[in-house]
Amino acid sequence: MKIEWTKTGINRRKFLKGATALGTAAAMPMGFAGSAFAAEDGVLRVRAYGDSDVMDPAFGKGVTDETVHAAIYNKLIQYKPGREWDWQLDAAAMIEQVDATHIKFALRDTIGFTNGFGAMTAEDVKFSFERLIDEEVASPIKGDVGPLSHVEVTGEREGTIVLNEPFAPLWNIALPYAAGNIVSKAAVEAAGGRIGTDPVAESGPYLRSSWDPKNKTTLTRNPDWKGDAPAWDTIEILPIDDENTAEIAFEAGELDFTRVSLGSVGRYRGGVPNGGQLQEYPSLYYVWLGMNLDHPKLQNQKLRQAIQHAIDVPTILEAAYFGAADPANGMIAPGLVGSRPEALVPAAANFEKAAALLAESGETNVTLTLDILNKTTYSTIAQIIQATLAQIGITVEINLLESGAFWASGDNENLQLVLNRFSMAPDPSYATSWFVTEQAGIWNWERFRNEEFDQLHTAAAQSTDAAARDEMYRRAQDLMEQSGAYRFITHEATPIIHTPRVSPALRPDGLPLLRYFGKS
Amino acid sequence: MLSFTIQRIGLAVLILFVAVTAMFLMIRAVPGDPVQIMLGPRATPELQALLTAELGLDQPIWKQLAIFYGNLLQGDLGIDVFSGRAVTDIVFQQLPHTLWLILASIVWSAGLGIVIGAYAAAHPNTIIDRIAAAISVSFVAVPAFVLALLSLLIFAVHLQWFPAIGAGDGFWGALDHLVLPAFAIGLSWVGYIARLVRASMLEVMGEHHIRTARAFGLSERRIVMVYALRLAILPVVTVIGVGMGFLLSAAVFAEIVFARPGLGKLVIDSITTRNYPVVMGAVLVSTGLFAASTAIADLLNAWLDPRARSAR
Repeated sequence: MKIEWTKTGINRRKFLKGATALGTAAAMPMGFAGSAFAAEDGVLRVRAYGDSDVMDPAFGKGVTDETVHAAIYNKLIQYKPGREWDWQLDAAAMIEQVDATHIKFALRDTIGFTNGFGAMTAEDVKFSFERLIDEEVASPIKGDVGPLSHVEVTGEREGTIVLNEPFAPLWNIALPYAAGNIVSKAAVEAAGGRIGTDPVAESGPYLRSSWDPKNKTTLTRNPDWKGDAPAWDTIEILPIDDENTAEIAFEAGELDFTRVSLGSVGRYRGGVPNGGQLQEYPSLYYVWLGMNLDHPKLQNQKLRQAIQHAIDVPTILEAAYFGAADPANGMIAPGLVGSRPEALVPAAANFEKAAALLAESGETNVTLTLDILNKTTYSTIAQIIQATLAQIGITVEINLLESGAFWASGDNENLQLVLNRFSMAPDPSYATSWFVTEQAGIWNWERFRNEEFDQLHTAAAQSTDAAARDEMYRRAQDLMEQSGAYRFITHEATPIIHTPRVSPALRPDGLPLLRYFGKS
Repeated sequence: MLSFTIQRIGLAVLILFVAVTAMFLMIRAVPGDPVQIMLGPRATPELQALLTAELGLDQPIWKQLAIFYGNLLQGDLGIDVFSGRAVTDIVFQQLPHTLWLILASIVWSAGLGIVIGAYAAAHPNTIIDRIAAAISVSFVAVPAFVLALLSLLIFAVHLQWFPAIGAGDGFWGALDHLVLPAFAIGLSWVGYIARLVRASMLEVMGEHHIRTARAFGLSERRIVMVYALRLAILPVVTVIGVGMGFLLSAAVFAEIVFARPGLGKLVIDSITTRNYPVVMGAVLVSTGLFAASTAIADLLNAWLDPRARSAR
């Protein structure tokens, strides 16, 4: 069979002629109109480090989704912007812990859902919380609501949250965060029990008016919002995972707000382009060097203590964090209940003491592996640790691991030293939960097993006495450090920059609360 | 031509099968429990077990592969673990961004490359030819990521002529946002195509029909533009076909540096989160694009130059 190419009207001559013309035309000087990026008055452009595509709070992927959820949904309480951890009323007109296991609330009568789903009721609160613990829903954030039993509805807008046992973190990490978002029962049921990428019914000061995957999420004012009017007509959230790109975009006038890299803090301290401002917030992350207590090479406590004292945290902070982060005194960040004023092992290395401890240990020719996530910061830290431990005669071999492999290290029994970094919610129980005995070999990579620690973790979560909790969490961190398995390094930092027309509203750890962003 | 077409399409399908199978096996060989990474540390063991079963990760690898191809033949690429959306929707939502970027890069780089190459060939061994050669080689030599960052700093930050990030809204917005990334990944192709066209043109310019055209008194401009260039761009067609694959790779970094949506960014994000269904969907489509573009280039070449058919 012979294909008649010319049936289309295109023959070889015509094709070549056309291609030549196209090439020539493409090479003609093109005049591109200068792009204007002058900020529009009512439009706020902020950077997020990832795309927000899950609109179901029960399945949110963390900060990126919660940034949008917090603006389009309501919670009983919301984090209060500022430098101190605190909360303020949101959908609740009143909320009160009546006893250790009962929290009574009353909703404001001015909050309604979009798309005709009516006013927010206590039934919506009950539905939103109880679906988190529903086995069939299988929410990955079930743990955030801890021992939640159920929600009793006592009136159209009144109810009581009932816990199986006291759970203080509910106020810090559940009610004002992802687990606290209240969705419309009728809307979710109409959607088949789970919200997809379309928020079926919104109630916050903003509505998610459009979503262009991996390009832009646009929030616009909710015309039916009865609370304090938000300052911006429109908020555009641009997913930019690379901080350097975000900084360039800011300097090009395309962003009003972004987190910046620690390496850029020094430059921005000397002045932010376009009249912008730099603000430095502490972070809740904690970075530490862990030692696997089950590994035969690390059985000797004196050896572990020698390692603790030979690591010079100030040098690490200078080299890896460009002096923009402070030393950590434990895993609980300053400003939170349980934060220690100082660590048992001082930040600066004490090589004499380290050498003495090593001699006491009787260990010689020690060679250890150090597993790290393959990122510049951790690689720098690892090299400094390698150099400082070499000073007391310990040889360190660094293993760089890709993120998937690194985060699967929990069950790696051959793990020796590991440089780790965990995120944290603003309650100390979130941090201690990873280091209890039952987490050994899962997230407790040091295989730290301490009965007193486990008891403190349980008791502190159940206590509603802040002073008592503070004492217990401090003691828990002392136990960790005394084991010799931990050398706390830093909580890092959250530096942000913003244009002069924006008055950012941030949590004490520098994360944005978009609904409260103002104009200046 | 028909048998050649069938052979070439068959080869494209084989390439696709081998590449996708290799990717399927490779991603499962990467250390790390995908379910743990997908769900995060707060997920209960019960939930992890549930998702493992849902994704079929508790099945033997050969069975997982068989299920994947079985679903694929029914046009089902699976469901995104996080958002619950169909992978097909996600991939085809991102595909146009990447296609536009590649197309824009090809159009401008081929256009300019052809002009420079043709001009240099029309003035061989002159100062113009040498300048064109120097420019072409330097274009090839500049790494695209360096160019991307420099162009961002100069044209987006300093001059503010073009936007730095995103894909823009509407046709003009999208075009505006294409300029810098297309420039960054296309520049080396300008040099490459210019060198190719120059060499090809010089060969054509020595052929009998060109000498005949000159003997007939046709202007040099007409000879170059109409008779010589037409034949000289033949190799460019093949190169562009193969170049699609390279531009697809380049698009990955362009999408990251310029914070653009697209297939490359989708693949990176999905691999990081071990979102297997999305990784496989994106890889399938991008490999398909590459296989199709090389096949089309070969077929075009065979059509334009019958000698290419007989050479096989």
